[in-house]
Amino acid sequence: MAEPTPRTSPDEPWPVRVVSQKISAWIARLGWVWVDGQVAQVSRRPGAGLVFLTLRDPSAEMSLSVTCFRDTFESCDPPLREGSRVVVHAKPEFYAGRGTLSLRADEVRHVGLGELLARLERLKKALAAEGLFAAERKRRPPFLPRTVGLVTGRASAAERDVRENATARWPAVRFAVRTVAVQGANAVPQILDALEELDRDPEVDVIVLARGGGSVEDLLPFSDEALCRAVFACRTPVLSAIGHETDTPLVDFVADVRCSTPTDAGKRVVPDLAEERRVVEQHRYRLDRAVGHLLDGERRWLANVRSRPVLARPEALLSGRADEVAGLRDRARRYLGHRLDAAGTDLEHRLARLRSLSPLATMQRGYAVVQRAADGTVLRDPADVAPGAALRVRLAAGELTATVDEPDL
Amino acid sequence: MTDEDTTVSYEQARAELATVVEKLEAGGISLEESLALWERGERLADVCQRWLDGAKERLDAARAAREEPSGNG
Repeated sequence: MAEPTPRTSPDEPWPVRVVSQKISAWIARLGWVWVDGQVAQVSRRPGAGLVFLTLRDPSAEMSLSVTCFRDTFESCDPPLREGSRVVVHAKPEFYAGRGTLSLRADEVRHVGLGELLARLERLKKALAAEGLFAAERKRRPPFLPRTVGLVTGRASAAERDVRENATARWPAVRFAVRTVAVQGANAVPQILDALEELDRDPEVDVIVLARGGGSVEDLLPFSDEALCRAVFACRTPVLSAIGHETDTPLVDFVADVRCSTPTDAGKRVVPDLAEERRVVEQHRYRLDRAVGHLLDGERRWLANVRSRPVLARPEALLSGRADEVAGLRDRARRYLGHRLDAAGTDLEHRLARLRSLSPLATMQRGYAVVQRAADGTVLRDPADVAPGAALRVRLAAGELTATVDEPDL
Repeated sequence: MTDEDTTVSYEQARAELATVVEKLEAGGISLEESLALWERGERLADVCQRWLDGAKERLDAARAAREEPSGNG
């Protein structure tokens, strides 16, 4: 819905009063509205009929001036002060005398604690339904962060508690500290800036959001919707450590780890060096023993195997065989002996028989054996030899040769 | 020491040694084969021994290095 651009030119400019009137008319078109905000500043001049307030958005760096009559201001119970959460019925006004804009309020109401808590409860349900508290979205902070981002109040007990407890456990711990307002109207924007800066720093492995105890109102920034969403959007794991054990601002539900107090955060953000040393020592000892046992076991096994007869006394392999050979040799010898004895007896028998058949005895009685000398044929018939043939005549005591005469036939 | 002696793992040497001893103890093999097995067994036992001695040395060295204060103890 573009309004036609008013026609002006260097030759036909509008005087200030015209512009001022037009702006005033534009602004007046908003009419009366109810505005929710936080009182950031109150300025009352003695004797003046008007009170000037600065009304700030609790989640963003935006504010408006508000003016109201002293009566309106004073009708508030409890009295308005800086930090009060209010709902204002107002109408924007352009003060032409200075060219400034302010809200003219005719009613200022405190937002009571009950109402604030009811709002928080609604916000909590909405964020939970959106999944900002989901356990599966929680990231596990590193076991040993390189640098711990710490967002906390300037020179606060919370800062000291986190630093002292973390340093006691891990002396080498490094911090990147961003001090911010932790209550009041500036808190949320400052915390958002600090978070964003630390989240961007690649050295920062975890961010601790720490604040000491305070009233429910003091802790309100840590239930702020914008802050909750910023913590949820952080890529770096965030630990929340707000107030005391019993305080549970909404950021506690969004944070990756909820610490009950800043002291608790100091303890949880780094490991305990002494404890870690002890654990490492213990594991080293067990490692040693395990390897030692293993080695001893293997050495025993090897010694046992080496002492087995087949390895320790290989000569047993040989002596067994040698006995075998000796036994066989004995058996062979015994067998051969029997054979020889038997053969000797046999020979004697045969000799006796031979002897008994020998013609010697007959020859001793005077007989002779005549043989043809040429071939040793024993002669039984005179026809077997021709006259003149050589003969051998065997007698008992020896032999002689003879020649055949003419036959008698 | 042959190449094999240095490349074979402890577990391989140990398993083979156990097999060799079992075979020798079971008997029923030729003399030539049992002598060869025995020699093999001796060599495998040496391999195992070297592994174990080496492991012990490394363990002792690591323990000694730890007990020496290294400055940032």
